[in-house]
Amino acid sequence: MPYLLRRLGFFLLTLWAALTLNFFIPRFMPGSPLQALRDRTHNKLSPAALEQMLTSYGFKPNENVLVQYVDYLKNMVTGQWGISIGATLGEPVTRIVRQALPWTLGLVGVTTVLAFLLGSLIGTVAGWRRGGRLDSLLPPAFVVTSALPYFWVGLLLILVFSVWTGGVLPSDFNYDSGMQPAFTPAFVFSVASHALLPAATILITSIGGWILTMRNNMITTLAEDYVRMGRAKGLSDRRIMTAYAARNAMLPNLAGFAMSLGFVIAGAILVEYVFNYPGLGYLLYNAVQNTDYPLMQALFMLFTVAVLVAVLVCDIAIAILDPRSRERDRSGR
Amino acid sequence: MKPTRITFAIVALSASLLAAACSGSTTANNSTSTGNGTGTSAREGGSTDKASHKQGGSLTIANTQGQTWTCQFNPFNPAVNPVSLGFVYEPLVYVNLLQDQKETPMLASSYQWSADKTSIVFTMRQNVKWNDGQPFTADDVAYTFDTMKRVPATDLYSLWTGAGLRSVTAAGDKVTMTFDQAAGPYFFNFANQVGIVPKHIFSTGPAAAHPDTWDDRAPVGTGPYKVDPCSANNIQYVANPDYWQPGKPYLAKIQYPAYLDNGPANLDLGSGKAQWGSQFIPNIKALYLNKSKDNHTWSPPVTNVAIVPNLDPSHAATSKLPVRQAITLALDRQKIALIGEGGQQPVANQTGVVVPTFQKYYDQAAVAAAGYDKPNPDKAKSLMSGLGYSESNPLKLTIITITGYTDWDASLAVVKQQLKPIGIDLTVSDLAQQTFDDRLYNGNFDLAYYGQAGGPTPYYELRQMLYSKNSAPIGKPASFNYERYLNKDVDALFDKYPTADDAGQVDIIKQVGAAMMRDVPIIPTTESVNWFQYNTEDIAGWPTEADPYAQPAAFNVPDVEQVLLHVYSKSAQN
Amino acid sequence: MTALLVDSSTATGAPVRRRGGGLWAAVRGSRKAMVGLAIFLVFAVMALVPQLFTSVRDPNALQFEPGLGSSAEHLLGTTALGQDIFAQLVYGTRQSLVIALVAGFFATVLSVLVGVSAAYLGGVSDETLTMLTNVFLVLPTFPLIIILATYAGKGTLLVILIVLVVTGWSYGANQLRAQALSLRNRDFVESAKVRGERPSYVIFKEVLPTMTSLIVANFLGAALYSVLTAAGLQFLGLGDPNSISWGTMLYWAQSQQALQTGLPQWSLAPGLCVALLGVSFALLNYAFDEISNPALRPARRPRKRRRLRARRTRAGGP
Repeated sequence: MPYLLRRLGFFLLTLWAALTLNFFIPRFMPGSPLQALRDRTHNKLSPAALEQMLTSYGFKPNENVLVQYVDYLKNMVTGQWGISIGATLGEPVTRIVRQALPWTLGLVGVTTVLAFLLGSLIGTVAGWRRGGRLDSLLPPAFVVTSALPYFWVGLLLILVFSVWTGGVLPSDFNYDSGMQPAFTPAFVFSVASHALLPAATILITSIGGWILTMRNNMITTLAEDYVRMGRAKGLSDRRIMTAYAARNAMLPNLAGFAMSLGFVIAGAILVEYVFNYPGLGYLLYNAVQNTDYPLMQALFMLFTVAVLVAVLVCDIAIAILDPRSRERDRSGR
Repeated sequence: MKPTRITFAIVALSASLLAAACSGSTTANNSTSTGNGTGTSAREGGSTDKASHKQGGSLTIANTQGQTWTCQFNPFNPAVNPVSLGFVYEPLVYVNLLQDQKETPMLASSYQWSADKTSIVFTMRQNVKWNDGQPFTADDVAYTFDTMKRVPATDLYSLWTGAGLRSVTAAGDKVTMTFDQAAGPYFFNFANQVGIVPKHIFSTGPAAAHPDTWDDRAPVGTGPYKVDPCSANNIQYVANPDYWQPGKPYLAKIQYPAYLDNGPANLDLGSGKAQWGSQFIPNIKALYLNKSKDNHTWSPPVTNVAIVPNLDPSHAATSKLPVRQAITLALDRQKIALIGEGGQQPVANQTGVVVPTFQKYYDQAAVAAAGYDKPNPDKAKSLMSGLGYSESNPLKLTIITITGYTDWDASLAVVKQQLKPIGIDLTVSDLAQQTFDDRLYNGNFDLAYYGQAGGPTPYYELRQMLYSKNSAPIGKPASFNYERYLNKDVDALFDKYPTADDAGQVDIIKQVGAAMMRDVPIIPTTESVNWFQYNTEDIAGWPTEADPYAQPAAFNVPDVEQVLLHVYSKSAQN
Repeated sequence: MTALLVDSSTATGAPVRRRGGGLWAAVRGSRKAMVGLAIFLVFAVMALVPQLFTSVRDPNALQFEPGLGSSAEHLLGTTALGQDIFAQLVYGTRQSLVIALVAGFFATVLSVLVGVSAAYLGGVSDETLTMLTNVFLVLPTFPLIIILATYAGKGTLLVILIVLVVTGWSYGANQLRAQALSLRNRDFVESAKVRGERPSYVIFKEVLPTMTSLIVANFLGAALYSVLTAAGLQFLGLGDPNSISWGTMLYWAQSQQALQTGLPQWSLAPGLCVALLGVSFALLNYAFDEISNPALRPARRPRKRRRLRARRTRAGGP
């Protein structure tokens, strides 16, 4: 319990730090909502009109910074994320995010979890069959794939499967423009075919890392005493592999999973950019280009929360799977 | 990556105008200014002519927006104006920039200026209905303009502040607008660019409280199309059965998909999936024109893209005339257009008059006499060596531009190469949009690469760039005259323009052009165009070079309405 | 622990004390490391003397016919603007290597500083530094990078290096701290303390050398991260479009729709180079993992021994 409380405390502290960073960065850099609005209106509104527009969009630039900060924290936490002042001028940020969120969760989220599970599985088997064919071929191959840049793999897939095939697999967007979103087979098929290449990109580039770390962890674990003990006891290979070795080898992987979410987000942004997939990553890129402060802040906070939640979940999972971690922590490491 | 957002923005700007302090009148030079507005262009039938084709068929637009649709259609919101004005909402009178301000009456069937052009009376068209069945009246017009007064953020053209609009009153079927000064040059804004909104919708609820941020998801307008339905990925417009021009529009459905990037839009154009394109297509022959004999392109120029030098004495090099002369003489604009813009933008000239669109204001003879009709690198070299610079001892200058405008980056790469042999070492500095804006407005640059908005005659663009009241001291933001050109004689010319007659206005522009050649305050390189690609397999009635009845890019409002009222489906005619 | 199995202390990750000579021998013995090193050396030569590889002196100058395909004169053809793609590739190596090495170096220095200090100072300082590390670890760095790079106003090399260092140090700091903590209680450190050595001596002369392989591994990881992230940033257009680097080549190729206009090599070649440089770091990194953790080494030489072990295991005996 104290372990969990500590983790929760860490969660809140990091969230606060991220929100504060998010608040101050735009204020220290050149640019302002006033200038953003001036750009949107092509410099044609009078200064008075611009000021009025600022207020309409909920900005109070002349207020005390501290008051602004407190308001900002309150708004972020209660979901009042303001109105976009970017290219989607006038649209409530919550609406924009709500539209894009399922696409990122679906594409990036599902694929990442899939890569993690599949990778861990393959890594377990590879580590187990140390010295086998799988083991001598795969590691170098996966070292290579894990170092490939996301966007390059995406471009390559687009070239081979979309350009050279004359468009058999679509290379952009999330579904055919002519369709209305509905749970019809045609729509589902369209979504699936549009998600195929981006998902493949993420899988190819990220699975390698999981396989390798899992394999390495397995090998290290297999050298432990209790594995010998299990063999001595005459347990079946499969039981040793899963209940003894894999379960322990998984732990560093789980910890690493949460930490690697930063890379996942980077990958999400790049993949969505290359494939024009209208998810949160694409939104962030657009928001920064168009100096859309409200949207940027909301997205940054969302990303931070996502990573923190993942860390928390993984911590809980580790705490459940590994009683030592609770002990270790209590003794102050 | 999304380069043509810039060209989109530039040309969209060209369809509007900032009203700075100005006086006088104009639009005396076209035939229907006091007429009762019947037909317009001859060939395909004017947009208010009787319908000459059968209805049916559909069309897909490929115009990159960069994000998915928000499904808002409020014409007071500048970000969504391009999908609502022209499709659903209409202006009072349409003014065609490409045909010397030829007018087509829309919601106003006629108008009458007062003698001194400080007031104008519009007569409303009869039997026009809003698409929810309510009748359109003069009250709607008055309410639209009053909203712009009440909520300044909706006054997108600064009519109540800059143009001097004093009052808008409705009486019967007439609307009277009065101004503080002669308001001829603002006709283009208030008659052509303001979408009229229904009073009965905009006077209630959130629309009345916040007309600038109201989302207007089910727009009620008088225009040829209704929105049905709109989703994040696509807007479908269906023909308005009660549209006041019977039998029109011809096309039953318009599809306007959301494109996040030029790539997929261009692919759809090439394959024929979309028929109306409005962005820059690199290597257009291979990607588009060669794909089908029905693929055509015609991109008319509307404003200039120019090198903006800093004329303030604090910038020693660029404030010297010989340096600027050397730069403009050294440029081989053909090469810049070929490599930077894929050959799809025409070359600009030193007078700043965009040809062939504004051919009648262009003084060919004067340009040739001044030696500006072709590049002259030798003279440029001698001008620079006169100041002590040569290729081995070059003058170092930095030009700022906006990151992401890759066609401008490419053009500047060519410029850099052309300036090297005459003794100028140019460094191109790419800045984020807001950083660039800051430095441009405040005069913190040697050279800048920029394109301004334009208007229906060269007066608008030139006046923006050269009028001293649009300038400001270094360190304070200038509204449009970023180079800080201060010339009383040129100011006087601009002041005379609104009250001059047609011939007088042409002469004034020619004199301003002469000042451009004499003082070289701005160095235009290429002419910014309306990107336009069209497919004729099923759709006919497009604007063409021979029949430029409207600016053809889909992002030009309200021109898009004119195109929509002309195009028809060939297969539906059987 | 019998002699047949690997030493448990090494199996749990604490590195065996090595001097320089041992390190090099280990690298030479690993095939992966040699491949990685070879790739890196090729790029290093390309960066140092690009003139050896191409006759073009100014790769960004628009001096050729645009849009040409591969030929003897232009190994990879020309861009849509008329530049030799291969020449740009060769000259672009320099910036990518500089980014990798400089950003990797400084990020590692920062990691070592924070990680080892946290381990040694202990108490409140340790808690604070750890908290700082964790915050930076968890912050979504790529969005942060995009925001920082955009707001810096211009995407110069310095800006990119700074954002890379600021966002790239936290991963290593955690690892280094964990190891420094475990070393703190080791015999040789204790003996140094008992001898009366100053803490700085203990840190620099006893602890850090022991952590060499981990530090090097961290450096390689940071270099890999920098290469990929910088390429990503430049690809998105946040770098300097007029610089000569692989990332900006990708940016231009993308904006000119190279894939669709028949110039795929313009897009793929620089990406391949980024990938290869990344692979070389990854291979070296992987090899260093094996060096510091002998359990992971491929049992290449003693083929007989492996089969022996396997036979024994199957028989069910220890």
